[in-house]
Amino acid sequence: MQNYAQRIIAGLLVLMGLGGCMSAPQSTFLLENFQQASQQNSSFDLPSRLHLDSVSFFPQELYQCGPAALATVLNSSAVLVEPEELVAQVYVPARQGSLQIEMLAAARRYGRIAYLLPPSLEVLLSELVAGRPVLVMQNLGLERLPQWHYAVAVGYDFSTQEIILRSGVVKNYRTKLKTFERTWQRAEHWAVVLLSPGELAAHADEKAYFEAVSGFAREADEESLHAAYVAGLERWPASSTLGMGLGNLHYAKQRLDEAAQSYSTVLDHSPNYAAAHNNLAQVLLEQGAFQRAQLHAEMAVAIGGAFLESYKKTLATIKLKLAASASN
Amino acid sequence: MKFSSLISKTINSVLITALALMSVQMPAMADIVSTEQIATEQRTDVQREAVRSFLERGDVQAQLEARGVDAENASQRVDSLTASELAELSAQIDTLPAGEGAIGFVIGLIVIFMLLDIAGVTDVFPAI
Repeated sequence: MQNYAQRIIAGLLVLMGLGGCMSAPQSTFLLENFQQASQQNSSFDLPSRLHLDSVSFFPQELYQCGPAALATVLNSSAVLVEPEELVAQVYVPARQGSLQIEMLAAARRYGRIAYLLPPSLEVLLSELVAGRPVLVMQNLGLERLPQWHYAVAVGYDFSTQEIILRSGVVKNYRTKLKTFERTWQRAEHWAVVLLSPGELAAHADEKAYFEAVSGFAREADEESLHAAYVAGLERWPASSTLGMGLGNLHYAKQRLDEAAQSYSTVLDHSPNYAAAHNNLAQVLLEQGAFQRAQLHAEMAVAIGGAFLESYKKTLATIKLKLAASASN
Repeated sequence: MKFSSLISKTINSVLITALALMSVQMPAMADIVSTEQIATEQRTDVQREAVRSFLERGDVQAQLEARGVDAENASQRVDSLTASELAELSAQIDTLPAGEGAIGFVIGLIVIFMLLDIAGVTDVFPAI
């Protein structure tokens, strides 16, 4: 008898566990807040409905939702490209699908910064409000029997509790926000917006932006990359990562004065950032300012960190140069 | 005798000059920290933060203590986790479903990292 009771309890626990997995907490939270706000006639952060109707639509062929969805967001960011052109770049026939990392790389190849959004439904909807369609990944199947799918969010409606997607062969696929959230959650909340160099997302996060731009740096031409760093530094003037990126870009093009300027600005904001001391030391060395170079290299070594070995090498090189110039 | 020493002196000075020239003409090996390296470091920092805040959750600390691991100790040692261990842990934490039942697996991983330490396979938790 006791055994029987235990089984029932165990069964209930399993059901509760499943319920936990299948809940859609973000939609619930957003919809409740929206209802509360409309009852009290107070304003809500997001408009009650929105539809980016002009976003182009490419009905997908079998399994090729990746190229179609990518073409949709690229065209919306003024890159005129057909899905067919993208198939060879992102579609993996053996997997009958496209890898996320290849989707990002392809977007960069067309001169766009692929900005990964945080796992927040509210952020996703705010990008739509800013006029930017959002590339999303969904798992339409189950966690253990996945059916991966790419779609593009183009609108939502709080009154019908729906999200609007360019999905498969349906131009305006309306599905419940909660259903979408569950399928999106099973794809680790993967959501991406494309930015032109110089443009920032509505959700502007310094770390996420630097991450996106550092990925962009692999494919970008110099002018675009420069614009991306400058826009980021306008928004976050004290950002050491963006400042280093800009400095490194100048250094790669042998613009030593500009590089030194960028690294110095980083040090103005973060005097103990060892990597900036090191890179500035290297530039000063190449400019022949050995004494100042040594000072900064010594600072880098004293502060230390993950790249201490590089700092030691820089300092050793500078000391050699100093010795050589003293003996001349 | 004198002549041969003159030759060897000449050869020596030629060699020394050549070496000196080589060292001058060798481009200074640039040891700047690359943007890629900075991005990797930022990624590791973000992951370390995720693991640390995971360990600060009340339910997680309870589970750790149930397994005989001092939660405060574990949190302090997040600093010594390697980049790949951090990546693995934070990826597991990221994919946790909303339900609370799944945290046991991640805690299992943390405990495994500790056990490997005891066995001397890794050296993440030196004081155990």
